[in-house]
Amino acid sequence: MLDLLIQGAPLFFTWQAVLLTAAGIVAGLFIGVLPGLGPLMGIVLMLPVAFHLPPIPAMGMLIAIYVGGSAGGSISAILLRIPGTPLAAATLFDGYPMAQKGRSQDAIGLSIIASSLGGLLAGCVLLFFSPLLAAFALRFGPPEYAAMALFGLLTIAIVSEGSTIKGMVTGAFGLAIATMGTDEFTNAYRFTFGNFNLTSGPHIVPVVVGLFALSEVFVQIEGGDLTASPKIQRLRVSFRALRLILAHKVNLVRSAMIGTFMGAIPGAGGDVSAFVSYAVARRLAGPDEGYGEGAEGGVVATEAANNGCCGGALIPSLSLGIPGDASTAVLLAALFLLGFFPGPELFQYNADIAGGIFIAYLIGNIVLLIAGIVLVPFFGSVLKLPKAWLLPAVILLSTMGTYALQNSVFDLWVMLVFGAVGYLLRRANYPLAPIIIGMILGPVLENNLRRSLLISRDGLQIFIDRPISATILGMTGVLLAYVVITLIRGAPKAAKDEESSD
Amino acid sequence: MRLRAYSYDWIVWGLFLALPLVIFWQAATSLEEQGVAGGGPMENAASFPRLIAWLLLGLAAVNGVRIALCRISAPSPLAPTPTTRLACVVAAVFVAYLLLLPWLGYHLVTPVMMATTMMLLGLSIPVAVAGGVAISLLVAAVFQGLLNVVLPVGLFEITLFG
Repeated sequence: MLDLLIQGAPLFFTWQAVLLTAAGIVAGLFIGVLPGLGPLMGIVLMLPVAFHLPPIPAMGMLIAIYVGGSAGGSISAILLRIPGTPLAAATLFDGYPMAQKGRSQDAIGLSIIASSLGGLLAGCVLLFFSPLLAAFALRFGPPEYAAMALFGLLTIAIVSEGSTIKGMVTGAFGLAIATMGTDEFTNAYRFTFGNFNLTSGPHIVPVVVGLFALSEVFVQIEGGDLTASPKIQRLRVSFRALRLILAHKVNLVRSAMIGTFMGAIPGAGGDVSAFVSYAVARRLAGPDEGYGEGAEGGVVATEAANNGCCGGALIPSLSLGIPGDASTAVLLAALFLLGFFPGPELFQYNADIAGGIFIAYLIGNIVLLIAGIVLVPFFGSVLKLPKAWLLPAVILLSTMGTYALQNSVFDLWVMLVFGAVGYLLRRANYPLAPIIIGMILGPVLENNLRRSLLISRDGLQIFIDRPISATILGMTGVLLAYVVITLIRGAPKAAKDEESSD
Repeated sequence: MRLRAYSYDWIVWGLFLALPLVIFWQAATSLEEQGVAGGGPMENAASFPRLIAWLLLGLAAVNGVRIALCRISAPSPLAPTPTTRLACVVAAVFVAYLLLLPWLGYHLVTPVMMATTMMLLGLSIPVAVAGGVAISLLVAAVFQGLLNVVLPVGLFEITLFG
């Protein structure tokens, strides 16, 4: 565990990596504050920039945006009753009432400190469990990897927002996109339609930027209020919350652990973990604490959990290559682009990179504590920024970021096409995250499936003969059974809801 | 079956139904011509895509039934908002930008696109022009100056920070 940190330290402690990690936290906080954007948008916009940087500064910046963006969403939830990100939806239960009572300063301070400490606790778990999980995964062969990819994909499709079937459809869509390009086994061109630009398949960056950033811009324009600027009360720098949090240390640790655990389950996500930890904190609190009416404990529980979730989501991502959520899927894509393969090999052959990433995550959370408190007065100004300024800037950053990747105008058209696809999918309430996860896990699944069949003399029997792959496939089977049962039971209920809404 | 209440669902359903058909068509034509549409796991490049195609077909069938029977919780009507037309105009401006970018270059087209978009979104003309030019220059400085990216120079080969 400490070996990793020692190996990663020289890579991280350079002016470039430290500066970019700090800048990532600040950028993440501001992006998180703005309703409608969020850590994923921040990572997506900065992904092409990261491609031009050395590995650790690049990953440090992206992870810091992830951490800062997850924390920043609480500020607009507290001040405006509009969560900057879905992760902060539970924070408004008590954060907004606190602000209404004239305690917005305390609420923001508590949310930032809880986020930071929750993230640091999750970082310790990440540091302890990732190498263990990676060491266990060294026993994996092609059948286990194929089974694991299938399990990860199914889990994410099932638990992602919206319906399970829709999640599975978009996951399968991601798998289909991943088959485009040159087949690794035969060198044949698949689904390139004679276009040489597609011989390596569509690059993941234009796909991600189109699906998440460009489609979001057009959804936001349709949402209106383009020049509106909300009234925000004046905020000052205050360290009082550092003292207030001491009264909630048990709640903080418990919520961070809930967040970490749920983050480590692919697809469970920070928003779910925030609601769960809030429910637990509320149940265990005394009646005089006034949950729902501005309880400090409510803010601490939700924020410690949703930032703890970031560390948790990095555990399966780094040690198995199975992303925990959409943001970690894009982080994995960044790691691929930088030439490293997440999974046990990362810990075996590039331990310094793994260690550098861990340090970046830990330092990012420390910077969050300081920057989050010191920059409080600026958050109000950022919240006043009208969409008419913000959205064109997002369009330009998306465009130039995508272009810069390969100096390719073709990539911009790919981005546009996926922007349109993303818009349609959003309107039809399809989750987008499984597409990216499908694109990342697609090659892992296909290559390991074909390798397994090459090794095996009994066809698919190899998946059952090997205990680890059999266990993972058993879990996948249970998940599938759950999907079928939910579908059968849920259908009449949905129809009933539909009738009653009419 | 209410077509209008689930318009977007039907559109997306159509897209996901078309996708497996494209996969089967390509497997039968392009991959067949390359001699990789059959055989064992080593030489069959079409087996995995076909598997996904069948999966998508199955899921599309289930989803089609659910939409037809109105058994999905959230409807998705084509309900334009007061700013839907504006979103379409901004999209058209962006398409025009992508078409002109390789010909006229970043420094000529981008400030115009940015200013036009900002104006369309409600900023006054002087603010939009100043903002458009400023953001374009800032982005160019970062990408060209700091990251050494060669932004599209166009026929006039204009560069500012390179």
